[in-house]
Amino acid sequence: MIENGQNQQTLSAFQTLNGHGAAAPVVVSGGRVSRDDRRTVGEPLVKDPRITCRSVNVWYDKTHAIQDVTLDIGRNQVIAMIGPSGCGKSTFLRCLNRMNDTIDSCRVDGQICLDEQDILGPQVDVVSLRAQVGMVFQKPNPFPKSIYDNVAYGPRIHGLVRGRVEEDELVESSLIKAGLWDEVKDRLTSPGTGLSGGQQQRLCIARAIAVSPEVILMDEPCSALDPIATAKIEELIDELRVQFTIVIVTHSMQQAARVSQRTAYFHLGELIEVGETKKIFTMPRHRLTEDYITGRFG
Amino acid sequence: MQDASIKKQRIEQRLARRYRADRRFRRLGLAAVLFGLVCVLILFISIFSKGYSAFWQTRIQLPLVLDAAVLGVADTADLNRADYNGLVKKTLRQLFPEVVQRGEKRKLYGLVSTGAAHQIREMLIRTPDLLGSAQEIWVPADDDVDMLMKGKIDRSLPESERRLSDLELTWLDTLAAQGRIKKVWNTTFFTAGDSREPELAGIRGAVTGSFYTLLVTLSLSFPIGVASAVYLEEFAPKNRLTDLIEVNINNLAAVPSIVFGLLGLAVFINFFGVPRSVPLVGGLVLTLMTLPTIIIAGRAALRAVPPSIREAARGIGASPLQVVFHHVLPLAMPGMLTGTIIGMAQALGETAPLLVIGMVAFIVDIPGGLTEPATVLPVQIYLWADSPELAFLEKTSAAIMVLLLFLVVMNGLAIFLRKRFECRW
Ligand SMILES: Nc1ncnc2c1ncn2[C@@H]1O[C@H](COP(=O)(O)OP(=O)(O)O)[C@@H](O)[C@H]1O
Ligand SMILES: [Mg+2]
Repeated sequence: MIENGQNQQTLSAFQTLNGHGAAAPVVVSGGRVSRDDRRTVGEPLVKDPRITCRSVNVWYDKTHAIQDVTLDIGRNQVIAMIGPSGCGKSTFLRCLNRMNDTIDSCRVDGQICLDEQDILGPQVDVVSLRAQVGMVFQKPNPFPKSIYDNVAYGPRIHGLVRGRVEEDELVESSLIKAGLWDEVKDRLTSPGTGLSGGQQQRLCIARAIAVSPEVILMDEPCSALDPIATAKIEELIDELRVQFTIVIVTHSMQQAARVSQRTAYFHLGELIEVGETKKIFTMPRHRLTEDYITGRFG
Repeated sequence: MQDASIKKQRIEQRLARRYRADRRFRRLGLAAVLFGLVCVLILFISIFSKGYSAFWQTRIQLPLVLDAAVLGVADTADLNRADYNGLVKKTLRQLFPEVVQRGEKRKLYGLVSTGAAHQIREMLIRTPDLLGSAQEIWVPADDDVDMLMKGKIDRSLPESERRLSDLELTWLDTLAAQGRIKKVWNTTFFTAGDSREPELAGIRGAVTGSFYTLLVTLSLSFPIGVASAVYLEEFAPKNRLTDLIEVNINNLAAVPSIVFGLLGLAVFINFFGVPRSVPLVGGLVLTLMTLPTIIIAGRAALRAVPPSIREAARGIGASPLQVVFHHVLPLAMPGMLTGTIIGMAQALGETAPLLVIGMVAFIVDIPGGLTEPATVLPVQIYLWADSPELAFLEKTSAAIMVLLLFLVVMNGLAIFLRKRFECRW
């Protein structure tokens, strides 16, 4: 996709941004970046990004959970975040729709822009931000309401639909996009909590896409599901890529390899390596990345 | 081989002990539950056996001649001022013409309740046409007669230790032989206010008072309690101040209720000038007492709503208010209602704080509003239990039964609401 020359260019641009200066090239071609070098390796920046994150830091009280992460999220792409448990993947993901706001001890700084709009600023309306950046959680969490109301809720509170007919259409199209329509079309009024785990998660996806967000964040969306349900969701993610930008946190490297175009590897709050998924899994440049994907530590 | 068999043996020994402990624990638990049930049963049986007779009332049939001359009236316009007592006395004298001594006459008049005259007056005022006619009327008997008919006065006791003399017993036997005595369903108990005469006393006044008082309590404590719980749990910042508030609310729940009564006396009556003895001030005091219960139950109910629902709602872009009102509150409502009803049940049974604010007065009239003097059921029970007349004993138990019935209904309602609106996820 991106040629090598261009890579170098973007990278040096990034380094200037990141305050590292032009010295000390990070890319060691053909070699390995040692475990002690914690500067981001790979291609954190892309052309025409949907979201740009610059020097993002997150603290929980004194815990420095995310350290100086700079990363672009490409348009209509799936980017996977992998890394050992507790490395800050969820924390980073939750910065992208300001879900960390509700945690009193949490402090975020740096710059995150969604299509040029700074989303960390105090003047940003988180309610409308979340209509642009939807979220799917680890545990399926449909509202204890009917399937229909689950999907219609978002459009209703944002005033996206006028009248019952429009609402019906939106619910149907959202459920179709989430691949759930055929399974639930005869029982739209039965409670969403009565569905199976995989169906519930697809209902949550339908609920998220009903407000036509630009970005969908998924935090380990399949970790509570069986392999068949997982396969369905993965297939769905691949289809949704056409319309949405997707950021997915996963602890399964196979899943990252299957669904994503780019992969970011986090380690103890730092972004260690990011790049094309194929490259990360076949030719990791950083020793930590290599250790992780070869299963030397988890 | 040897090792394996020893291991097996040891495990089996141990297993037997574990099962024994298990069974022992279960039996203990069951015994505790049974003990509790037996106590409740004994309580119910004792109250019921003492109180059920209060639901019946002895009446005596009098052959009245509603003679205008006897009543001392010229025409129907004077019926308000007629001498109904005289009529009753005259009728009794006619039934037993042999009674001539003054003392004996007084005893004879005492067989019938003082409510008899009132009853005849009511009847005549309602249908003045009856003036001049002869009527057989069932009037309430005196409470001692009532006790005798219910077998609560022992005829075998020597006369001096009995509430009724031999003479009175013979009169009553004569009346009974004539079919002039019967026991009927005691409507007075449900329709009358308090009275010094047990046969005329009822719980209507107290029930009405309780109703108005609880109405005030509910309409204040539920909205305030729910709003406080929602604010503290969902919106308030977690800092020193809210910690202090939380500790104080928990402390308030443990404050003896009489203290709330004193507070109400000082603040509502002495400072704000709310009249004493009225349901309004009673309700205000009980609101103070119930609020901590409702707030604590409400916060527990809110905390029991899984955080994943809040996250889901926030994730889709619901504002904090929408998160609470669309998702959290509906899920917490059954718990909140349960807490509220339990708080109301407590308030219904509360006596001490109401004594302090004067709701212990002897009030005959049935209160017609929030600012008319009233008493409440538990205070009525307290008043009756304090009365010397034997007949008030059964009234006390009967009133307790009514109170218990209300409590059972309220708790049943709480369970129903929980079951009905409870939501599984
Ligand atoms: N609400 C919180 N309060 C304090 N620390 C937190 C909180 N959430 C996460 N952390 C800390 O932040 C770090 C990153 O957590 P997280 O983002 O959940 O990791 P991951 O999703 O990669 O497993 C961990 O060390 C964790 O202990
Ligand atoms: Mg996580």
